[in-house]
Amino acid sequence: MLAFLRRNQIFFCSCFCLLLSLYILTATARGQIKNEPVGALLMWILRPLQIVGQGTANWIKGFRDNYDTLAGFRSENERLRNRLQTLEIERQRLLEAEATNQRLQQLLDFRGELPTGAITASIIAASATSWFQSCVLNKGSADGVRKDMAVVTPLGVIGKVVSVTGRTAKVLLVTDPNSGIDVMVQRTRSRGIVSGSLESGTVLKYIKRSEDVREGDRLVTSGLDNIFPKGMLVGTVIKVRKQSRGLFQIVEVLPAIQASLVEEVLIVSGENEAAKK
Amino acid sequence: MKLFLLFLLVGIFLVVLQTTFFHLLPIGPVVPDLILVLCVYLGLYHPSVGAALGSFLLGYSIDTVSSPILGFNAFAMSLVYLAVYLSARSIWLHHPIVSSVVVLLAALVKGAAMVVIWAIFLSVDGFWAGAARYVLWEALLAALLAPLVFALLRRGQIFVERFNPTA
Repeated sequence: MLAFLRRNQIFFCSCFCLLLSLYILTATARGQIKNEPVGALLMWILRPLQIVGQGTANWIKGFRDNYDTLAGFRSENERLRNRLQTLEIERQRLLEAEATNQRLQQLLDFRGELPTGAITASIIAASATSWFQSCVLNKGSADGVRKDMAVVTPLGVIGKVVSVTGRTAKVLLVTDPNSGIDVMVQRTRSRGIVSGSLESGTVLKYIKRSEDVREGDRLVTSGLDNIFPKGMLVGTVIKVRKQSRGLFQIVEVLPAIQASLVEEVLIVSGENEAAKK
Repeated sequence: MKLFLLFLLVGIFLVVLQTTFFHLLPIGPVVPDLILVLCVYLGLYHPSVGAALGSFLLGYSIDTVSSPILGFNAFAMSLVYLAVYLSARSIWLHHPIVSSVVVLLAALVKGAAMVVIWAIFLSVDGFWAGAARYVLWEALLAALLAPLVFALLRRGQIFVERFNPTA
């Protein structure tokens, strides 16, 4: 019997604990246990540890709350920063709109000076290769754009239309080597052809050695090519070279307009063509 | 003796942990029941009268600290220890996942015991739905933490036994 009990002592001990628990439960439920010593001892042991533990937990909680507060400030700061950025973007948009408005107003004013039938267009694409200097406009034959129409801005000549589709027009820029604009030196009325060049930018061709051309001279369209209206600025002479031989002098030109900086343009017919209409 | 002291200190530490730090966890009112994990550990690896009494005392300490009626957790922990002890011979526990499963089952046993005792001794509105939620959450949390606690206990035990091989 004793051996049996000893062999199963853990089982019996556990059963005893279970029964003891049930007894305590019942006694507590009935209110029979008022001051039990084991609980008091446990509380006596646990109390200081819990005070320390709770103090530490409170410290952690306070730290976390402070962190959350700081994080709240941070998020508020972030929110205000985002708001500021949004407003800044909005301001930029409004400034841009105002600038666009001014440009369009200039175009409108300029349009009045041009032959009738000028078409306003926007540049929607630039050249895809460095070998050609061209751009694409958002207006085409459906809008009245035809090949060989001039593309200009109030500040000067951009180029001419070389091909047209229903809704787009491809423009060959002044700076393209294949372009050629009949111009004259504003000061002396000497005539030449402004064209692009692969090696030295934009040049004024066919100016005789004897012609008086100086740096700073303004080149304007002659209007004789029936493409560009007369008197529009094409560029400014920036360098004049006279070689020891040859009939013509070499004149480098700074184009009046850099196409990459332009957004809106006017497409116009040459004076003679307009007159034909 | 040293092992007894180790488990006593661990038990006290876990009680303090459960009554203080675990409430900082953002898991609502559910508290991970590491005391249960300790009882399972004792039932698996320390089949002794001291371990059985220790489980009872662990449960009782929780009752003392947090239960409105004494004996709830003492009964549940004693039952868990007994169940694990009886089934320990057929459990081959060498994988953390197995320990999780054992703890999960033990937590469900404890939950069932608690539910029965609650139903008998206390009457609370909406008890069953709440009880089911707490039992499941506690069981899952305990199962989740079991491998870690087991590993820590084993390391602590190895550390203690290194100084006293007969412990």
